[in-house]
Amino acid sequence: MPPIDCEDQELLDGFLTETTELLEKLDDDLVALEKSSDDTDLMNRIFRSIHTIKGASSFLGFDLLVKVAHKTEDVLNRLRKKELFVTSEIMDVILEATDLIKLLVADIKAGDIQERETEGTIAKLLPLLTEIPTPPPVVTKEPEVAAAPVQAAEPPPATSQQVTPEQGTVTEAATPTASTKVTADAAPTAAPTAPTPPAASAMPVAKPTTAVAPKKTAPPKPVESKGGEDLSDNSTVRVDVKRLDDLMNQVGELVLERNRMIQINQDLQQNNVNRNDFNEEFGKLTKRMSFVTSELQMQVLKMRMIPVEKVFKKFPRIVRSMSRDLGKEVDLQIIGEETELDRSVVDEIGDPLIHLIRNAMDHGLESPEERLAAGKSRCGTLVLAAVHEGNQIIISIKDDGRGIDTDRVGRKAIEKGLISEEQFTSMGQREIFDLLFLPGFSTKDKTTDLSGRGVGMDVVKTNIKKLNGLIEIKSIKDVGSEFILRLPLTLAIIQSLLVEVEGEIYSIPLSSVLETIRVDQRKFHLIGGQEVLKLRDIVLPLIRLQKVFNVQPRGETEHFCYVVVVGAAEKRMGLVVTRLVGQQEVAIKSLGNYLANIPGIAGSTILGDGRVALIIDPVAMSESCE
Amino acid sequence: MQNALVPVKTTESSHNELIQLVSFNLDQEEYGVDVLKVREIIRMPIVTRVPNTPHYVEGVINLRGKVVPIICMRKKFGLFQVENDKQTRIMVMDMEGELMGFIVDAVSEVIRISGSEIQPSPAMVAGGIDQECIAGVINQADRLLVLLNLEKMFSRDERNLFTGM
Repeated sequence: MPPIDCEDQELLDGFLTETTELLEKLDDDLVALEKSSDDTDLMNRIFRSIHTIKGASSFLGFDLLVKVAHKTEDVLNRLRKKELFVTSEIMDVILEATDLIKLLVADIKAGDIQERETEGTIAKLLPLLTEIPTPPPVVTKEPEVAAAPVQAAEPPPATSQQVTPEQGTVTEAATPTASTKVTADAAPTAAPTAPTPPAASAMPVAKPTTAVAPKKTAPPKPVESKGGEDLSDNSTVRVDVKRLDDLMNQVGELVLERNRMIQINQDLQQNNVNRNDFNEEFGKLTKRMSFVTSELQMQVLKMRMIPVEKVFKKFPRIVRSMSRDLGKEVDLQIIGEETELDRSVVDEIGDPLIHLIRNAMDHGLESPEERLAAGKSRCGTLVLAAVHEGNQIIISIKDDGRGIDTDRVGRKAIEKGLISEEQFTSMGQREIFDLLFLPGFSTKDKTTDLSGRGVGMDVVKTNIKKLNGLIEIKSIKDVGSEFILRLPLTLAIIQSLLVEVEGEIYSIPLSSVLETIRVDQRKFHLIGGQEVLKLRDIVLPLIRLQKVFNVQPRGETEHFCYVVVVGAAEKRMGLVVTRLVGQQEVAIKSLGNYLANIPGIAGSTILGDGRVALIIDPVAMSESCE
Repeated sequence: MQNALVPVKTTESSHNELIQLVSFNLDQEEYGVDVLKVREIIRMPIVTRVPNTPHYVEGVINLRGKVVPIICMRKKFGLFQVENDKQTRIMVMDMEGELMGFIVDAVSEVIRISGSEIQPSPAMVAGGIDQECIAGVINQADRLLVLLNLEKMFSRDERNLFTGM
């Protein structure tokens, strides 16, 4: 294999960025194509993507990639010319070739080109290029190779088309010029080499076999279907030009305000101003400054936002392959994919969503026969929806399957010794649903590729907790279930309630504060050593922050104190504090590796006076409370 | 003595090279750390206490927008406590990519020594200082300097304790 000897690293980076984008979109387009096979635009877009990949990789000399992309391109070309018709079988092969291309691109990215087993995939592409049932082996090999390239070319056009002209976004990639250069340069090179789609049977035979057949020097590694999944990276950002312009305007204003501030300071130093004038001027300046900075903050926050589409778009492919594996018919509907949320959140929700979708497909939806027997339509529906609500984003995964069988869940839990018989009988529906999140819990008797190890829901819970999110389960037997995730929009800046505990200031995320009350400590009750407060119809467990954080009490304790009622997931508790200080928007600062994971502390922030205040983690608090 | 020098030579590859050290005082003794590890030396700011940490963690400070943990060297080394005075300083050090501050009695100067002057520390060290973090001793005519390797101060276990609590 040729090593990566690209002299121009920028060129290579550009190629990788572009190819990765094209490949990301390709999966989605291919699945869409299967549903609407007569969509010419879609078909052409896919074809162009593969063609671009092929062109660019041949320009850079990635032979294996060219080979696979080339064959895929040929197959797609036949589809485009209506010499072939889209069937699930053909799509399977094309998708497999796409995975192979992803794998090869991942190799290039890692800087480690390996001999991969390409013949298998190519061999599957081959029959598609010829309708002769028993072609000589040579012929068979060639068409296969040809088919693969087609696939590779598909993704690139799709992405570039969608993003650049339609939405008017600007590529902020580190090497924007490089990527355009690659395409421009590559296109001419590719054009001559690209074979005019052969009347499939004739052309392949004529070509020398050796040129096409992959050399098997090193033991080829098997193609893993997941090879391409980690292709996407987050090192570059695409930002709408308009947002960038707005940002520039705001920075301009900030500069003006700074000049004003310098002026005021100068006047003050030279004693040119009387006190009243200064007060007025400085007051005005403060207001304008705070206005400009909050605008600026909003803008930057918006730039960090990316549509959930980034995560959602890989699901049609997953659902498709799962539905084929499981023999179920599923109609995946995606709603609100344009909903935006912070990059950091987007990165974290991918895994939990995959688990929830797997669960819905595997446990929730029934097979077509069962569905018909239950009087439902043959094809199950899976709805993946995202929507903004206040400063939260709500993602729900809803299926119209058999719903959660609480009895069965309970019995399994007893069987596994997770709960006792009495506990089960006293459990409400909600508590039974909570059992699903226990590590090691699974209703499956057998472990399969897809499920049964009891890990999935635990992953979901852990990731969502990490994001300070909440999970809610709604399920009606035989009608379906819905998993609802509530996530904060961003993790960097939060609204918080500042409280004082015997002289120390702590910050509580406002998103988890339900209410604050001033109460007489003599109204606290003691149940089994645990202080509680009767609040309307609930009994609220209390946590004295002063005790948890070992704060030295100063002075006499007053009878009256404040209780901050916080909620974490479905739990509620009251934090006892000395005084409420106020509400403030705070930027979260990490405490660093050395002080990470202090129980009950989520991070820190810097207050207006420059002091550091610790941010309380209500979720961890609720756990220590148990 | 010559034999005893051998292991030091191997660990300190810079045998005859000049090394620059920042020297600081702690309870009458003088210590030195590699100047390249020291980011800055500051006076005592307001320290925010962090609950449920080992006793020698004084808390965190705001260093121009960065939150930096502060370790009290006296407590860490098991020395008796004194009031902070005008001489008290925090040495902000780069610890494997993360900043960390150490409270010391006073910071005196930057000195140059040659690598060959470093001798291994005597077997017995008083005051409960972890043997591990003492990289050597520099014995000059008028002074005795203990060379510290603060990155070794927090053993793996201790770091886990920090993060696993």
